[in-house]
Amino acid sequence: MKKTRTFSALRTALTAATAAVLAISLAACSQTGGSTTAGTSASGDQTTFTYARSAAVTSLNLWTEITSNNAFAIDKIFEPLVSFDKDGKIIDWLAKSHKISDDGLTYTFTLRDGLKFSNGKNVTAEDAVFSIEQHQAEKDAALPLTADIASVTAPDEKTVEIKLNSPYTPLLAELANFSNGIVPKDFGGKSEADFFANPVGTGPFVVSKWDKSGDLTFTKNENYWQQGKPGITKLVYKLVEDGTQAVNQLKTGQVDGIEDPALENLDELENGNDTKVETAGSWVTHTFFFNTADEHFSDVHVRRALAYALNRSDVTKAVSFGHADTAKTVLPKAIEYSTQDSIEPVDNDLDKAKEELAQSKYPDGFDAKILLASGNNAYSQAAQLLQSAAAKIGVKLEIESVDIATFRSRFKAFDYQIMINSAQADYPDADSIIDFQADPDGFSKSYWTSYSNPEVTEELKKAQVTPDGDERAALYEKIQQTLADEVPYIPLYSPQIVKAVRKNVTGLEVLPNNSVRFQDVKIG
Amino acid sequence: MLLVLVLVTIGVFLIVRLVPGDPAQMVLGLKARPEQIADMHHRLGLDQSIGKQFTSFIGTLLATGDTGQSIAYNVSSRALVLSRLPVSLWLIGCSAVLVVAISLPLAMTAALHKGGWVDQLVRIVPTITLGMPEFWVGLVFVLLFAVTLKIFPVGGTQPGIDGMLYSMALPSLTIALAQTPFIVRSLRTRILEVLGADFVVTLRAAHLPERVIRRHVLRNALLPALQLYGMKISFLVGGTLVVEQVFGLKGVGSLLFSAITVRDFPLIQAIAIYCALGVVLISIIVEIAGGLIDYRVRGGLGGEARHQEAGGVA
Repeated sequence: MKKTRTFSALRTALTAATAAVLAISLAACSQTGGSTTAGTSASGDQTTFTYARSAAVTSLNLWTEITSNNAFAIDKIFEPLVSFDKDGKIIDWLAKSHKISDDGLTYTFTLRDGLKFSNGKNVTAEDAVFSIEQHQAEKDAALPLTADIASVTAPDEKTVEIKLNSPYTPLLAELANFSNGIVPKDFGGKSEADFFANPVGTGPFVVSKWDKSGDLTFTKNENYWQQGKPGITKLVYKLVEDGTQAVNQLKTGQVDGIEDPALENLDELENGNDTKVETAGSWVTHTFFFNTADEHFSDVHVRRALAYALNRSDVTKAVSFGHADTAKTVLPKAIEYSTQDSIEPVDNDLDKAKEELAQSKYPDGFDAKILLASGNNAYSQAAQLLQSAAAKIGVKLEIESVDIATFRSRFKAFDYQIMINSAQADYPDADSIIDFQADPDGFSKSYWTSYSNPEVTEELKKAQVTPDGDERAALYEKIQQTLADEVPYIPLYSPQIVKAVRKNVTGLEVLPNNSVRFQDVKIG
Repeated sequence: MLLVLVLVTIGVFLIVRLVPGDPAQMVLGLKARPEQIADMHHRLGLDQSIGKQFTSFIGTLLATGDTGQSIAYNVSSRALVLSRLPVSLWLIGCSAVLVVAISLPLAMTAALHKGGWVDQLVRIVPTITLGMPEFWVGLVFVLLFAVTLKIFPVGGTQPGIDGMLYSMALPSLTIALAQTPFIVRSLRTRILEVLGADFVVTLRAAHLPERVIRRHVLRNALLPALQLYGMKISFLVGGTLVVEQVFGLKGVGSLLFSAITVRDFPLIQAIAIYCALGVVLISIIVEIAGGLIDYRVRGGLGGEARHQEAGGVA
């Protein structure tokens, strides 16, 4: 009894502590009214769209940036003369029309009428000339124009003329890239650094608040050339690094959309009460790459043996949850000249796999390693499937999983045997992929595979100068067949581009480069 | 204490450079050309020897207190850490308060009714909660209280003090649950010990007023728990990393996470140095608090001298 009384003071403390907990819960409960649905706040004619993204916007310089965290903010602010639609088809954008001369040396663009920058100033051909020239002069350009450009001129206020020294067919597609957006001549009198800290463009949105390690808030460009658009007044790029967190925020309405929902979450988001998904075909192919400088994988029979041993559609089924196409060729279907529908790949034939290995330098099998970046479930599943496929023909593969930074340093130093990585087109032309993955003279040495076939190299150079049409199609068909037969890499699957949004969101246009257009978006 | 800071500074500087991975390749993207990468290395001074890089880093740190420009975000790393600090401090603060609010009543009830059902509970439950990783507890909380019951937000922070408390409820509870078991058990054991201690018997025998006895019992029981608590707060700083990630909180922990992913050397160094500083400050504060509770600690360990050292570091 006495002991109990001794601690009556402690009991008072206990009561105080309980009160503190209660106070916190009360503060919590008093909040539950409306804050959980903070994402979509529609007061008056103010509509905000909150978009969850996994990385912050760190720079808005359209010439030096390439990573998607920055690129897909830049393309809301700056727009090019031509662009592309949902299917990757090139369309006129700031230009109302364009013309390519028969010799392929002169490109003429006519600007739309009434084009204005977000500060209200008119857009003239001089602005376009300045923009392209600045891009060419930028020595750290991430996506430099590769055409041999002789001159860029403005014959009159509405006309932009690009003259080439030699024909280069991918130019139009390259110009559709966000990095060829139009900026005001001389940055409107500002320094380059000041300009990109507070950029002025023709795009549907203007930067209003920007935390380089956090969120970016856009407001509607009141001078946008598409009349009455955009439909939303505010666009928030909200940094949500964790994928599960983003999915849960979407479910409860804390955000209105997710940029990169994981494939494994799509089923639940597609069938959710409050959520849905929007898709488009993509320019990405997830691929096994062989280091053809490696003693084992320099042997074409070894590579063919592994490709025959593997069943690609099994990989697609295992990792894509119904949101990917099995890749049969290096060019994804959403890129023109892809032979995805007609080609016969080296795939899924165990007998032939054994035959190929018997013809190789290693008829009794060998040991090798698959290098992959950790944290990607799909990649590690694909690697396991290749591992078990290879085991059937006596090739023992070990999976080596390292963090992404280590992974990059390793494969860029050609320090790997097999790796899994994504192959991606930057602009809608076959050359964007073929040149990067099959030209041994390029800095990437055929996507770090060291693959070299002089015939392919010659054909791809020829395709660069051949105008669009049957002849170009035939060249790319031949290249794709050779690459499929010699297997410097095994294209596995092309995932759909998928965005998850709240059910009340309409008008989101999903693009094959993984970006989206917000100008037609409406909420509710 | 100063030695800790020096060792952390040197250690982190070396470790980030010895592990494979190149910030330029992470920032410039997959298709960066070798010229671009070389250019960036030159701009960042990464083409110099490690010795030279270290002297220039230390030089700037000592001269201006600046830890350099973040590579990924292209802003001052110190400013970045400071801008992320409030969220982390809120999280650590709320967790610390919750740990006390949960442990104190539990430990006392358990000790006062030794062998009772609360006591049994306090003995069994922690062995279960200790086995549950924080990220998992966090996910379960989000699914239960935010997605299903919609009582709390899924993640992120909301403006205002009440908004902050509201946003911190689930994440700080997640952290508190992981830390509480240690404190409860140590406090319970301690209270039991003190209740049976000779001095309590002596004080009683001397017929001192109950309130004096109470004060002494309380002090004696709290001191070891407080020291453990101080150590646990230091662990809290590390624990926030996972929890901030799970709850989408933009604190120092999630900043460190992305800094390591892209090998943002200056930013990793800045966070490590400031965290070390924070841990050192916390242990100093805990020692001072210990001195206030127990005079022996204040005299014996020279609280005054330590206090001055803290001033020198800051």
